[in-house]
Amino acid sequence: MGTLGKAIYTVGFWVRETGQALDRLGSRLQGNYYFQEQLSRHRTVMNVFDKVPVVHKEAFVAPSASLMGAVRVGQGSAIWYGCILRGDVNSISVGSGTNILDNSLLHVAKSNLAGKVLPVKIGDNVTVGHSAVLHGCTVEDESFVGTGATLLDGVVVEKNAMVAPGALVRQNTRIPSGEVWGGNPAKFLRKLNDEERSFFSESTTDNASLAQGHAVENAKPFDKVEFEKVLRKKFAAKVEDYDSLLGAVQETSPEAVLPKNGLPDEAAKSANK
Amino acid sequence: MAATTLARLSRKIVTASTHRNQLPQRAFSTESSSAAADRVKWDYRGQRQIIPLGQWLPKIAVDAYVAPNVVLAGQVRVWDGASVWNGSVLRGDLNKISVGFCSNVQEKSVIHAAWSSPTGLPAETLIERFVTVGAYSLLRSCTIEPECIIGQHSILMEGSLVETHSILEAGSVVPPGRRIPTGELWAGNPARFVRTLTHEETLEIPKLAVAINDLSKAYFSEYLPYSTVYLEVEKMKKNLGISI
Repeated sequence: MGTLGKAIYTVGFWVRETGQALDRLGSRLQGNYYFQEQLSRHRTVMNVFDKVPVVHKEAFVAPSASLMGAVRVGQGSAIWYGCILRGDVNSISVGSGTNILDNSLLHVAKSNLAGKVLPVKIGDNVTVGHSAVLHGCTVEDESFVGTGATLLDGVVVEKNAMVAPGALVRQNTRIPSGEVWGGNPAKFLRKLNDEERSFFSESTTDNASLAQGHAVENAKPFDKVEFEKVLRKKFAAKVEDYDSLLGAVQETSPEAVLPKNGLPDEAAKSANK
Repeated sequence: MAATTLARLSRKIVTASTHRNQLPQRAFSTESSSAAADRVKWDYRGQRQIIPLGQWLPKIAVDAYVAPNVVLAGQVRVWDGASVWNGSVLRGDLNKISVGFCSNVQEKSVIHAAWSSPTGLPAETLIERFVTVGAYSLLRSCTIEPECIIGQHSILMEGSLVETHSILEAGSVVPPGRRIPTGELWAGNPARFVRTLTHEETLEIPKLAVAINDLSKAYFSEYLPYSTVYLEVEKMKKNLGISI
């Protein structure tokens, strides 16, 4: 049995060698248009000479985010996929418990029409929405910058204020506490009501628990990822409803079950309503 | 003979000195131990395209083109002939996201699903067939019925519904719970009615989706089924003296 196994193993090796040789042949045939895959040179955390990002150990930074230059990220914050925090000329500081949602851009520029170059300061427990563009502005604690908003130089969003989605807030605008500003150019829309205020803190905690799940998943080494793929295939055929109709109890391995930390507690929600 | 030994020696010296001078943050993720400490170090793998969360695994159809720097996380389904272009983030961690047949999600879009929607429509983000979602748009818990065009940099908030054969101009912001009726053109921030579409324009909508589908096939054919990055990894490991 050992020799048969060894024989099959060797044949497998021959096939792979042939495959690799064919790959080289194919590359040569492609000639000038041959594409050689490179390792990802994307640096999640990149220093610009002596400006080094300082990220708290318990913050989640998605691998496809880019933190460059003088960036400080506080505890429990989450920088989601595709964000770009460019603190090359000036500093960016993100507080604790803050969420910079996917694809946002936090930026400080070298030159400014007014001549001043301002740092970006994001406070604690802030939610900066998807694809927001923040340029040299200050966002104080517990506020909410809507999806796709653009905040230009010198904007100050005070505590508990909200920038509506899609807003364009012009330079040096000050958004007072408890107000919702929106539109292009941003104008005062209405005052925040209590429901929205509680939504802010809810979204912070929700995002924080989601961030945990994503952080764990992104940090998994290669073998674990492959192992879980196999696990998933094993349990894929079993649909929960089918088994419960039959009265059978399905045993899923603990790794295959999503940790419920990302999902808000349904019972609590219905109780609160 | 002397030249090769000289080369080998010099390479050893170079690698030894680079090891000493390397910034403390750099480390290979294969050598990392705990999840907490190493989240932000350089990972030669880059960002994974498909991020399963628990038992939710994003599924991509065999002939769908999903660009390599797209992030699909959680419950995401990309159906046949669909394409998701560079830099998009489809984050189905709270709810399902589905990109329908022959639809396309263009560059740098962010699609997210909220936990619950204010209108009572299912809070998943459902993009049906032949929909073109323009570049840099943001979709959150919306339903887009078959054959629509969503303009570039548009923002669709929770619970919005875009009915069949409608077009949203670029830069439009659709407030939560808004319904865009069939066959109309809406634009603006917040989105307002502009005019109804002529029949010819309605016929053009699926043609656009199919055209982008053809384009995505050209991109799809550029990628080999398996990456050849392992060759580079082996070269690098050899240069840095890490045993394979």
